[in-house]
Amino acid sequence: MGKQLFRYSEANKEKFLESDNITFNDGSVVTPEEIWHYLTVEGPEKYPGTFEINLYQGNRASRDETLPTSLKTHYLGLTFSERMERAKDKGKSIAFIQGGQAVDPYTAADTIALRPFLVGQWYHGREHGNDINKSVLRRKQSKEKAFHDMSFEACQTGGYEHIQSGNLRVDVVAPYTVLRCSDVSYGVEAHRHGPNKEVKLFNVDYPLRYQASKPWAVEYFAQNLRRLVKTLDEVSGRKTTEDDLLKAIKLHNEGRRLGTELAELWWSADIPPTNSDDRLSLVSLANLDMHGDVQASLSVLKEARNIIAERVKNGVKGHAVTDNPKRIFILGSCVGINDSRSEDAGAIVVGKDDQWSHCSSLVEEEGDPFYNLAKATLEYPYEQSIEKRAEWTIEQIKKSRADGVIFIHNWGCNTQAAVARPILDVIKRETGIPTYIQERDLHGLQHEQEQNRVNAFIEML
Amino acid sequence: MPIKTLEIIRKRLEERPAELQTARQNGQKVVGWVGYNVPEEIIHALGFIPVRIAVGGDDRLVEVGARYASSKTCVFIREIVGAFAENQDPYIQQTDLLAFDATCLQNYRAAEVIEYFFKKDVVVLAVPRNFDWDEAKKYFAHEANEFTRLLEERAGAPLDSARLAESVALYNDIRETLKSIYTFQASRDNVISWEEVYDLIQAGELLDKKEYLSLLQQTLAELKELQPNPVIEADDGDSRLFISGSLIPRGDRKLIGIIKSVGGRIVGDDLWSGILPHLDLDIKEISPAGVALAYLNRTPHAALPYLDLESDRRLKKLHELLSTSKAQGVIYHTLRYCDPFTFKAKETKNVLAKSGIPLLEIHTEYAGSDYEAMKTRVEAFVEMIRIKAEFVEEEALLANA
Amino acid sequence: MSLSRNFFAGVDVGSLAAKAVILEDGKIYATGLVPSGVNSVESGLTALNLALGSAGLKKEDLKYIVGTGYGRVSAPYANKAVTEITCHAKGANYLHPTVRTIIDMGGQDCKAIRIDQDGAVVDFAMNDKCAAGTGRFLEVMAGVFNVKLDDLGAIALSATDTVPMSSTCTVFAESETISLVARGEKPENILNGIHHSIANRIAGLFSRVGIESDVFFSGGVAKNSGMKTAIEQALKVTIVKPEIDPQLIGALGAAVIARNFAKKEGLWV
Repeated sequence: MGKQLFRYSEANKEKFLESDNITFNDGSVVTPEEIWHYLTVEGPEKYPGTFEINLYQGNRASRDETLPTSLKTHYLGLTFSERMERAKDKGKSIAFIQGGQAVDPYTAADTIALRPFLVGQWYHGREHGNDINKSVLRRKQSKEKAFHDMSFEACQTGGYEHIQSGNLRVDVVAPYTVLRCSDVSYGVEAHRHGPNKEVKLFNVDYPLRYQASKPWAVEYFAQNLRRLVKTLDEVSGRKTTEDDLLKAIKLHNEGRRLGTELAELWWSADIPPTNSDDRLSLVSLANLDMHGDVQASLSVLKEARNIIAERVKNGVKGHAVTDNPKRIFILGSCVGINDSRSEDAGAIVVGKDDQWSHCSSLVEEEGDPFYNLAKATLEYPYEQSIEKRAEWTIEQIKKSRADGVIFIHNWGCNTQAAVARPILDVIKRETGIPTYIQERDLHGLQHEQEQNRVNAFIEML
Repeated sequence: MPIKTLEIIRKRLEERPAELQTARQNGQKVVGWVGYNVPEEIIHALGFIPVRIAVGGDDRLVEVGARYASSKTCVFIREIVGAFAENQDPYIQQTDLLAFDATCLQNYRAAEVIEYFFKKDVVVLAVPRNFDWDEAKKYFAHEANEFTRLLEERAGAPLDSARLAESVALYNDIRETLKSIYTFQASRDNVISWEEVYDLIQAGELLDKKEYLSLLQQTLAELKELQPNPVIEADDGDSRLFISGSLIPRGDRKLIGIIKSVGGRIVGDDLWSGILPHLDLDIKEISPAGVALAYLNRTPHAALPYLDLESDRRLKKLHELLSTSKAQGVIYHTLRYCDPFTFKAKETKNVLAKSGIPLLEIHTEYAGSDYEAMKTRVEAFVEMIRIKAEFVEEEALLANA
Repeated sequence: MSLSRNFFAGVDVGSLAAKAVILEDGKIYATGLVPSGVNSVESGLTALNLALGSAGLKKEDLKYIVGTGYGRVSAPYANKAVTEITCHAKGANYLHPTVRTIIDMGGQDCKAIRIDQDGAVVDFAMNDKCAAGTGRFLEVMAGVFNVKLDDLGAIALSATDTVPMSSTCTVFAESETISLVARGEKPENILNGIHHSIANRIAGLFSRVGIESDVFFSGGVAKNSGMKTAIEQALKVTIVKPEIDPQLIGALGAAVIARNFAKKEGLWV
């Protein structure tokens, strides 16, 4: 069976060339011309898999080509691996972190913070010419080994395989542990027996149980953040000051404000201005960590906010969105449903709690930046007790005018799996909205059973 | 010759639920606790009756628990949740409030789920992951004070320092006596088995502490009479096994039974439900923080990350216990979704291999369906150790010839 | 038959097949292989009788019998029961003394075994409770494609692509396979994906026990050429060509152990 590849249409080129440049951390700039060239010539050669039309992988035969920021996030994704290699060649520090956390202290310490997905993207991007099947097989092979090296009941291996056996030049593994996932601290600990003895390990200990209302817990977490910055400095050899952190907080607050504005604009529209996938890729820019370059993320985010405002004003409907789609809010761990197949079934994803929780949490800019950052982090709504998290989620569901809620968690994700039912219980009790729990079996393309259930839920709505 | 006191203890355990009921009718409150770092002395000193919630081995309850806490939670926690859902366990029925810690996060989630669904009053002690930092100890001291404050509210009276000192002294005596008894089970010509000592340790989770101490002392006296000089060394034909890994609570005797059925002899453990929590607990200061910190300073629970392999006190302790018990192999028990231990299985195996000690991981849950598969693995492991021991013996004979 | 001759037997009753090997001193004298029935005692006896019959022997001619496999616990005909892990080690060592690693894929489980120069087990690991990588799993897959179990490997080897499978759980893999077929993926490419997926799982199992050459592949699944190739690729090894039916290795090992026991107990003439 020949593999069909998606191609950007020349018809949209002229319009795209009128859009903004992307500016990077080091001050370098790429123009829309350069991006267009990469997306149409270099990219398809290096990464045919991401152009391959495969609905099961979420790759449609057509995309929203009139949304320039969608092309730019695609570009940033495709160039990620080579950009990370270049950053390392220039002596930049790279830290492995975890989803669900903001990256202000890493930015302050001039360190690129990468989540598991990004570490995987870096690793797999080093090999060119793979179609989807080959990419997935390669991913599965390294995952399988990592599961045996760590635990075959780990919800995910957190980039272990790439950092330990894949020779990725990650300098330090330093995520916020305990935050939303119980496997994180075990994952960090697992590195101590891996072959890579160079990588430094650090736990940022996130306290639990009414943490935001306990001054001693905030102080303890602030001390963790101080030690984190010190550890990052030990790696990079620089000296990060409180002022650096304050600047980073201000920069990230800008991202969070823009992301929140964008999300709220999107929600305010009667007609969804983008499809689910584009919405998520733009909203999640708010954390500025998505592409390994905070300035690049910020520049795309700024442009995206304006484009969405324009689309909402003009009543533009997102690409491939059906008329009057059923609005679904996704809760749970770091996975989502297959957006395109769910859209084909008549739905649209209007929100996702895990990223939204930290993207929408602003940090106070007056006073001790470590304490302020600690306090804001301990206040993440996603990390609160069942009732409190549910209360915040209900607000988001109402704001996004969701018709239904799906709680999806990874196979083996103990934390989210354990609270799924009580949280949905509160939501159902308070809103009467239909809810549904879905478990995700990781690492495959064919989630037929999952999609079958999701479609049934959409039909029910 | 059977130890008579063990028979008395079994009888007292049967009578214990009714006794708790009477005590509650007389105004006393029972605290059900779950967690490696719950400082039981504080609960005791406040006049509560502490009872450890540690059900296990019932697959039906695991299924019930999964309805509330998902099937992805560890088997032990699922059964606890299931037991609260059904409320048939005689000890759970008698609890007035619950004390959980957040050493293992699944434990913590269980507290939240039980609180939400079964409207139980739960006090939680948070536990730092960077437990060896001074900042973490300071934080934990605050948490211990907060934990005590919440319990004081429920006790209706403040914690009395003299009573705390008495409780600490009583618990110290219990720990010392248990350690002395433990030596006997690993000895040559042992008069008490590891299984009996294990049951004895777990009896202490339920019985009145003063009475328990006296029963322990009585047991020790009997042992000394039967075996004045216990010496720990291997018997011919023994396959001396050490159990490590996930806890094995009351009610779960599947693996222990299998080991026995294939001729293996257990001579030691470092289980959270066994001897480990009773070792190295040195309370330096009579205060909530002093007691709690002493708990935190013991061999850390596997749920707390240790980033440096070389200085890991858990592995050091394991080596020490293996050497004391003259064990020839380790059965590393991991319960389904028990991450603290499943994540360390391979590493522990590799670390022990360097000392020439084989390790077999047994990954299981409470259903009986894997009984035969488990048996095959354990039996092969015992065969492997025997063949190795025979070879060493033959070599020694040849060398002496 | 003369009582002065030394015959020993090993009987391996697995979930899908019962196997028997009769050994005379240092060589294989006769073998028997039958599908397992519900009654494991009967299955074991049938295999043993088949071997005895082909050799013209009676049960009384056997000096010692060792039972192994899942049916070993209830094998009244055997003098002793030994686990199949120990038996596979001995069997492989008997045939190929240079073998240090064994992959055994039987009807219901899959084992990674490391052995020393004497055929003693140094370390082993077995698959989790699921049926991935077992004969039963492949049997189900053969059923989905309506092909013979024996042809599965050859079909996989004719593939032009490898379709990744997201699950190795028998039930999920079956439904996934059906949807892949419905989507138009070629059967040989799907089967290739299935074989690779299992081989990948086996490779993971070996990350726990390690691999040392030479590598031997035993059990019923070892006859599947597609699986052999997929494992060779996943483990980056070359598998030793077996001198006898690889499904008989457990029974052979049991017979070797029977001979050792007989020697120890003074039954060797």
